Amino acid sequence: MAEPALAAATGLRAGVTHGRVWALGAVLAVLWVCMPALASRSIVDMLVFTALYTIAGLGVSFLLGQCGIVSLAQSVFYGIGAYSSAYCATHFGWPMPAGLLIGIGLSATIAAVVGWPVLRLSGYFLALATLALAIIAHVLFTEWDGITGGTLGVGGIPPISLFGFALNSPARFYFLVWPIAILLLWLHYNLLHSRTGFAVRAMRDAPAAARVLGVDIHALKVKVFVLSAVLGALAGSLFAHYVSFVSVDSFGVDRAINFLLLAVLGGSRTLAGPILGALFITMTPHLLGRFGDIHALLFAVLLIVSVIFLPQGFGGVAAQLWQRASGRKLEPKP
Amino acid sequence: MNSTLLLQSALAGITNGFVYALIAIGIAVIFRGTRIINAMQGEFSLIGGMVAYLVLERLGLALPLAAVGGVFAGGILGFVIELTLVRPTRKRGGGEESYLLLTLGVAFGISAAVLFIFGRDARLLAGIGGEASALFFDAAIRIHALWLMAISSLVLLLLWLFYKRTRIGQSMLAASIQEEGALTIGINVPLMRTLTFLLGGLVGGLAGVLVSPMITIHYEMGLLLTLKGFAAAILGGLTSPFGAVVGGLTLGLVESLAVLSFASGYKDVVAMTLLIVIMILMPNGMLGRRMRKGG
Repeated sequence: MAEPALAAATGLRAGVTHGRVWALGAVLAVLWVCMPALASRSIVDMLVFTALYTIAGLGVSFLLGQCGIVSLAQSVFYGIGAYSSAYCATHFGWPMPAGLLIGIGLSATIAAVVGWPVLRLSGYFLALATLALAIIAHVLFTEWDGITGGTLGVGGIPPISLFGFALNSPARFYFLVWPIAILLLWLHYNLLHSRTGFAVRAMRDAPAAARVLGVDIHALKVKVFVLSAVLGALAGSLFAHYVSFVSVDSFGVDRAINFLLLAVLGGSRTLAGPILGALFITMTPHLLGRFGDIHALLFAVLLIVSVIFLPQGFGGVAAQLWQRASGRKLEPKP
Repeated sequence: MNSTLLLQSALAGITNGFVYALIAIGIAVIFRGTRIINAMQGEFSLIGGMVAYLVLERLGLALPLAAVGGVFAGGILGFVIELTLVRPTRKRGGGEESYLLLTLGVAFGISAAVLFIFGRDARLLAGIGGEASALFFDAAIRIHALWLMAISSLVLLLLWLFYKRTRIGQSMLAASIQEEGALTIGINVPLMRTLTFLLGGLVGGLAGVLVSPMITIHYEMGLLLTLKGFAAAILGGLTSPFGAVVGGLTLGLVESLAVLSFASGYKDVVAMTLLIVIMILMPNGMLGRRMRKGG
C-alpha cells in the first residue's frame, strides 16, 4: 500500500527515530503481502482498483505537477487501452500482451498526433481542450459499437494468466497490479532525477531560461503527454482483463474528472501522491456507499478546499509529517 | 435534401445558437471583468432552471415570478461564490490553473449536490406560450424559441448600454483592464470583481430559465452547456458579449448542418472539434481584435 506516506503517518504516532522507519516499512510490506488473506474480498477488490487508478493517475499527476497541464483527457486513453485489450482478446483471441501493446501504441500515437497541435495552447484553453477531447472520445466510444459494443459493452474478456496460472480473483490480480504500480512510481521518480527530469523542471519553473539552454519546450510537453497516455492505456488494459467486461460507462467525463481529482488531492508533486489520491477516491465511495451519491459532493468540496488550502495535496501533508517524525529533512521531490 | 428540411434545421440551429450565446455572454462578462474563465457558467443555469422549476411547481407561483426567482438565484450564487471562494484564492496568490480547478470544482459540486438532493430525473420547465409553435414558411418554430431570441437580444443591448453608459459598468471594465490605475482613481476593484460575478450569475440564471423548457433540467446539463458556451465565446473572441452571440449562432448552425450530414450522435463531436480547432487556428476569434493570453 502507501508505504512511504503511511510510514510517515504511523512513524509520527509511534515516535520512532529515522533508523526504525525502515523497519516500519518492512512491516508495511509484510502487511501488504498478508492483506489479501486478512481482508474481505471487496476490500481487496477496492485495493486492486487503487493500484489501477494509481497507474492512470500517475500520468495526470505527471502532467499537472511537472508541466502545469490540467488534463481531463485521461479517460480517453484509459478507454483506448481497455477497448484494445477487449477487442483483441474476444474478437481475435490474441494473447494479452498483443492487446496491451496495441492499446499502448494506439494511445501513444493519438496522444502525439492530437497533442502536437493542442499542446500549443496553455492554461485554461488547454484544460478545456482536453475536456473537449474527453467528450469527443466518449461519443465515439458510444457510436462505434462495432468495436466497443456501445452501451452494451464487451463481455467475456479472459483473465490474464501468468505461467498457466489464471489471475481470476481479486487476490491474485492484486499481486500483479501492485508491483506494476510501484515499479512505475519508481521509474517515474528516476525519470525526474534524470537529465530529462531536469529539463522538465526547468521548463516548468523558468521556461525562458530553458528555451535559451536549448530545451524544445513544445516537444518535451508532447513527450510527457504521450507518456501520460501510455500509463492511461496500460491501466485501462489491466482494468479490462480484471473486470472481464467493459462498457462506455467506465470511460465518461466523470472518470476523467476522478483521475484529475486523484492527482490534485494526492498532491501532484509528491512521490506517494498518486497512491494516496487513488486510495482516497476508491475508498470513499466504498465507505459512504449507503448514503447514496454523496461521495461526488464530498469529492468536489475537497477539490475546492485543496485548491485553496492544500496546494500540495495529501502527499504534501504526509511529507511534512514525515519530516517532523524523522527529524530529518526529506529530500524534496522536484 | 429538400428546402423545408434545410430551413427546419437552420431554425433549430439558430435557436440552439441563442442558447449557446446566452451561456457565452455570461462567460464573456466574467472574463472581461476578472480575466477568469468561469468553468461553472453552465451550473448557474442549472441552478437558475432548478429554482424556477421549484418556484413554479412546488410553490405554485406564476411563471414570471418563477423566472425572476431563477435569474436571481443565478446572480446570488455568482455573488456568493466570488466572495467565499474566488477572493480567498486570489489572496493566496493562486495561478491560472487554480481558478480553473476552483470553478471546475464548484461546477462538479453543484452538479453533485443537485444529483444528491433531486436525483437523476430530468425535469421540464414550462415555456412561454407553452408548446405552441409558429410557422415560418414551411418550417415550425416554438413560440418559446422566438422569446428566447428576443430576450437574448435585449440582454445584449442592455449589457452594451451598461458597459458604455453607466458609471459602474465603466468601473468594472477599468478594474480589469488597469487594476492599479483603477485603484488610484478610487474604484473599489474587489467590489467590481464581485459585481462581475453577480452579473455573470444573473445572465447564467436567465439562460437557465430560458433553456430549461427546451433541454430539460438535469444534474449533468451544466458541463456540456459550459463547454458549448465556451466554444461560442472563443469563436467570438472571448471578451465581447456581441462576439459571443455571433459565436453562438455560428456554432448552432454548424452543429445543425452537421446533424443533417452525419448521425445525430456526432453533434457534440462536431462542436468540440470546432472548439479545439478555433482555439488553435483563430486565437482571437472570428471578429479577432484583442489579444488574449494563453492561446
